[in-house]
Amino acid sequence: MRIEQQPAYVLHARPYRETSLLLECLTRDHGRLGVVARGVRRERARLQRAQLEPFQPLAIDLMLRGELATLLGAEPAGLPLRLPGDAGLAGLYLNELVVRLTGRQDPHPPLYEAYAQTLPQLCMPAGLGWTLRRFERDLLDALGYGLQLSFDADSGESLDEDGDYLYRAEHGPVRCAPGTARALRGGDLLAFAQDRKPSAAGLAALRGMMREVIRFHLGGGELRAWRVLAGAVSRR
Amino acid sequence: MSSGSPLLADLIEALRCLPGVGGKSAQRMAFHLLERERERGLKLAAAMEQAMRRIGNCTRCRNFSEEPVCALCAGTGRDRHVLCVVESPTDLAAIEQATGYRGQYFVLLGRLSPLDGLGPDELGLAQLAERLGEGEIEEMIIATNPTVEGEATAHYLAQLARAGGVKPTRLAHGVPLGGELEFVDRGTLAHAFGSRQSLE
Repeated sequence: MRIEQQPAYVLHARPYRETSLLLECLTRDHGRLGVVARGVRRERARLQRAQLEPFQPLAIDLMLRGELATLLGAEPAGLPLRLPGDAGLAGLYLNELVVRLTGRQDPHPPLYEAYAQTLPQLCMPAGLGWTLRRFERDLLDALGYGLQLSFDADSGESLDEDGDYLYRAEHGPVRCAPGTARALRGGDLLAFAQDRKPSAAGLAALRGMMREVIRFHLGGGELRAWRVLAGAVSRR
Repeated sequence: MSSGSPLLADLIEALRCLPGVGGKSAQRMAFHLLERERERGLKLAAAMEQAMRRIGNCTRCRNFSEEPVCALCAGTGRDRHVLCVVESPTDLAAIEQATGYRGQYFVLLGRLSPLDGLGPDELGLAQLAERLGEGEIEEMIIATNPTVEGEATAHYLAQLARAGGVKPTRLAHGVPLGGELEFVDRGTLAHAFGSRQSLE
């Protein structure tokens, strides 16, 4: 199957055979694809190699046969995006998250949209943590693992703004005693659902909650980028 | 391979581990050694055996070395106040050949890449932090590749350097010598434009 002018981002590239790269691409209409880019590691192909870096909006032409696609062409589909400093580390985290949670050739157009919108926001002063939480929420939504953030999963009652809750993956928030470790305030969960930035304490609690949920969907695994980000932030 | 010689088949199979060598080239190499270069073939085997068994990594810079501390780190001829951090031994060799750099090195043997399973531990960053903490180093030149992962690594290393009271510097990037702007990729051109230098 020939695919033309498909909007895509490169998530990861690894050397393949002598002069080629095996790319993991996030495409709008075909989900994540493994793509072989032949010959791009040759000295003369440096120009093309530079285009195939992560975080650049691309329009790519592919031939898809079986599990892997072959890259026929790639051109920039917008200004190149630079993610300096922590934004770059956060970008690598985004890419690991997408690669680990999605299957190949499983299309999720809303995920592509969320990814494309999140990248430029990583450089904005709005706060990296909030940008990442929103992306995690939208990613889970797009994959059909959406969070339930409106009622107590045990009692069925609406969330109480001032109540304390623990979030159980695949179940939802359940009421817990005040002062429980890693508890979330109902108000912060509601704010998260309505896309309003919660308090700093709420944001920290949401981070812990999202890690638990992501860990659950990874089958108990860890993301490498967590350690990288932790190391970078602890040195502030 | 139906040559009737299992040893020959083994040799051909073994040669295929070299980069750029497929079945056909491996066969040519094997026949060449057996027909014309027996003597040098034995020399090659001996050198290979020695190298594979004895070469490890320098405990200070992580470059290849058969001694616990390599000649570059142990020698007195190098400036001990400057440290250049590179991704691989080939990068170190490139800098040695192209520049007049006289300082010391640290080889990461990779770059931060969560999807390849490479984190701070795999790159020996604790060891690097320890070296920075010794107080001798004044400047750390970060010479990781200008890729997304290389840049992220550079950012991480810069923080490490500042925490250790060392001044981090980064290789500049720009238009290649003899290049034409028309054919330079957008990212490089944008970067070169952004970090233009005054001619005063």
